Amino acid sequence: MQSEQGDKPQAATLSLPARITVAVTVGVVAVGALFHLGMVFLHVAPSNTLSKQHATAVSDYVYPEFEQNWKLFAPDPLQQNIHVQARAEVRKAGGGTETTGWVDLTATDVADMRHNPVPSHSQQNELRRAWGYYSDTHNDQNQSTGSGGSDLSSSYLQNIVAGRLGPRLNGGTVVRIQARAATTSVARPTWSGESVDTTTQYRELPWWTVTTAPAGQENAS
Amino acid sequence: MSDPGIPAPPAPAAPDPAAGTAEPVAAAPGAGSHALVDPAPAPSPFAGLGRGIDRGIAAGLSRITGGALAPYQSAIVRIGFSLTWLLFLLREWPHRSELYGPDSPWSFDLAKRLVAGNHAFTAVLWSDSRGWFELVYAVAVISSAMLLIGWRTRTASVLFMLGVLSLQNRSVFMGDGGDNVIHLMAIYLVFTRCGQVWSLDRRIADRAAAKAEARASDAAVARSGGAPRLPGSAGTDPVGIALWLLLGAALVAATAAGKLSTEWAVALWAGLLLQALWWAVRRYAPGEPRTVLDIMADVIHNGAMLVIVVEVCLIYSTAGWYKIQGSRWEDGTALYYPLHLDDFTPWPSLSHALAGNSLMVMLITYGTVMVQVAFPFTLFNRRVKNVLLVAMMLEHASIAIVLGLPFFSLAMIAADAVFLPTGFLRWLGEQVARPLRRSSAPPAAAAVPGQRSADDDAGQPAAGPSPTEAVT
Repeated sequence: MQSEQGDKPQAATLSLPARITVAVTVGVVAVGALFHLGMVFLHVAPSNTLSKQHATAVSDYVYPEFEQNWKLFAPDPLQQNIHVQARAEVRKAGGGTETTGWVDLTATDVADMRHNPVPSHSQQNELRRAWGYYSDTHNDQNQSTGSGGSDLSSSYLQNIVAGRLGPRLNGGTVVRIQARAATTSVARPTWSGESVDTTTQYRELPWWTVTTAPAGQENAS
Repeated sequence: MSDPGIPAPPAPAAPDPAAGTAEPVAAAPGAGSHALVDPAPAPSPFAGLGRGIDRGIAAGLSRITGGALAPYQSAIVRIGFSLTWLLFLLREWPHRSELYGPDSPWSFDLAKRLVAGNHAFTAVLWSDSRGWFELVYAVAVISSAMLLIGWRTRTASVLFMLGVLSLQNRSVFMGDGGDNVIHLMAIYLVFTRCGQVWSLDRRIADRAAAKAEARASDAAVARSGGAPRLPGSAGTDPVGIALWLLLGAALVAATAAGKLSTEWAVALWAGLLLQALWWAVRRYAPGEPRTVLDIMADVIHNGAMLVIVVEVCLIYSTAGWYKIQGSRWEDGTALYYPLHLDDFTPWPSLSHALAGNSLMVMLITYGTVMVQVAFPFTLFNRRVKNVLLVAMMLEHASIAIVLGLPFFSLAMIAADAVFLPTGFLRWLGEQVARPLRRSSAPPAAAAVPGQRSADDDAGQPAAGPSPTEAVT
C-alpha cells in the first residue's frame, strides 16, 4: 500500500498509453489543486468583486468540510470578559417556589483551567462558543436575528445551563432556569492613557421551563 | 530537494549565443572614452526566455512525475497531526461523552438538525447509541496511532480523516482554530504518500526488499534451476486483505443503510477499489502498470503537498492581513487583551507580568503581524524563511503555555513543519532514532544492509530485525 519505488524508469521511457495516462493525471491534479486553492482563497479573502460574483459557488464548495476562519484575535482581540451566569426557580417539598442566586458558570470553568497546562475543550470552548453562537443569532432583545440557528443556539445554551445547574438545587426541584451574560471590559493598559468603564453589564435572557426528560434523549428527524 | 511545493526554479536562462558577446569585457586602458561612445547593444533580458520557460516546464514536469517530493516534510506533517489528535483524544477521554457523545449539551437532536442543513460528514450521528459513539471514538484513537507510526499509512490516513470529521462535525461548537487546522490537514493527508520515511511501512518494505535480495543472490550462487521469482512482485499480504475485507464490509453496510451522501459514497468506494487495484498490480503486473500507478500516486502526492503548503500560507496571510485592520494591532496593545481574558489565562501571574511590560507587549504585537504577513514572501529566500519559521514555532510554543492552547499550538507547529529544511529533518530523525536503536536492537543482528543507496527517499537503513514481524 505504500510507496515502494525501486529503480523507477522515467515517464519518458513509458509506452504511449502509459504516457497519456500520466499526462492526464498531471492535468487533473493541477486543475484540481488550483481550483481548490482558488476557492479557499476566495473564501478567506475579504469580500471582493470576484468572491461576490461567485458567492454561491464558493460557499457550496467550501462548506462544510473546507470551512475556515483565520481571524484569530483579528481584526481586534476580544477586549471584554463575558461570563455566563445562571439561576433557577426551584419547587420546594412544601409546594412553594424559590429563586436561587446567580451561579457563575464561566467562573467554574475558569477555576478548572487555572494552573492546568492542558485545559479541556469542555472548559475552554463549550460555554464561550455557545454564548457566541447565541449572541450571533439573537439581538440584544433576545429576538432571533433571522439568519438561522437561533432556535438551535438557544436550545444549546439552555441544555448547558440545565446540565450544569442539575435537576435539584437548594433542596428543591428545578422548574425554570434563566441565564445572563455578565460582560466586563478589560481595563486598558496603564500606559495607554485610555480608560474604559469596567463595571459589569448584565444581559438577562428569558426564563426557560425545564423539560423533565433529560436533553439529548429524543431522537428526532 | 529543498522545500515542498516550491516549484523547481527554472533553469537559469543561459545567455543566448546569438546575442554574441554582449558583456563588454574590461575596456583596454586608455580606450575607455571610446568604449562609452559606442557601447555594445545591451542584451535583451528576454533573450532565450521562451527556451528557458520550456526548459523550466520540462524540468518541473519531470520533477513532479519523477517521485513523491518532500518525503520528510510529508512525514513530519503526518506525525505532527496524528500525534496532536491522538493526544487530544486521550486528554479528552474523561470528557468525550460531554463533547461528542450522548451526554453532550449539543444534543443528538440539535446536531442532527444542523448537519441536515450543512451536510457535514459525521459517522457519530448514524446512531444515538452509546456503544456506537464509543466505537467511533475508539476507531479515531486507533487510526491516529496507526498514522503516527505509519502502519498501513494510506488506510490509516483515510480512517484518521473519517475519525476527525466524525467527531468534529458532531459538535462543531466545541472546537477552535486548532481543530480547524487538523480538520483540513486530515483531508489533505489522505492524498499524500506520507509514509515514505519514518514509518513502520518503510521498515517492513525495506526488510522485505532485503530478504528478496538475499534470496536472489542465493539463487544466483546456487545456479540451480527452478522458476525465478518475478522481480519486484509483491507477496499476498494476508493482513492487508483482511483489513481491506473488514473495511469493505463496513462500507457495504454504510452504503446499504443509506448513511453516505453521494459524494462520500463515491469517494470512499473509489478509495477502496484503488487499494484493490494497487494490490493486484503490485502482485500480478509489476512492470509498466505498476510504474504508471506509482507515478500517478506521486503526482497526486505532489499536488496535495502544494495544497498543504499554500494552505499554511493562506492561514498566515489572512491572520496577518485581518490584524493589520485592527486598531489594537496598530497601537501595539493587542497582546495585552488576551492576557487578561479569563478563558486564556491558565497562569494569571505569568500573563499579567507579561502584559504589564509595555515594550514587550508592543514588540510582540508588531512582531506577530510582521511575521504573519511576511512569511509567505520569505519562501523565496531560504535563509530568511528559516529564521521566521523558528520565530513562528517559538511563538506557538509560548501560546501553548501562556494562553493555555496546547493542542492549537501543536497543530500549528505541525503545519509550520512542512517548511522545515530536509537537512534539518534528517538530522532530527537521526537524533531521535539513535537512542531508540541503541536500546532496542541487539547489535550483532543489526546487519541488514540499507538497500537503496542513492535515492533521496531512502530512509534509514533497517535497524536490525524487529522481533515482531508476526504482527504485521
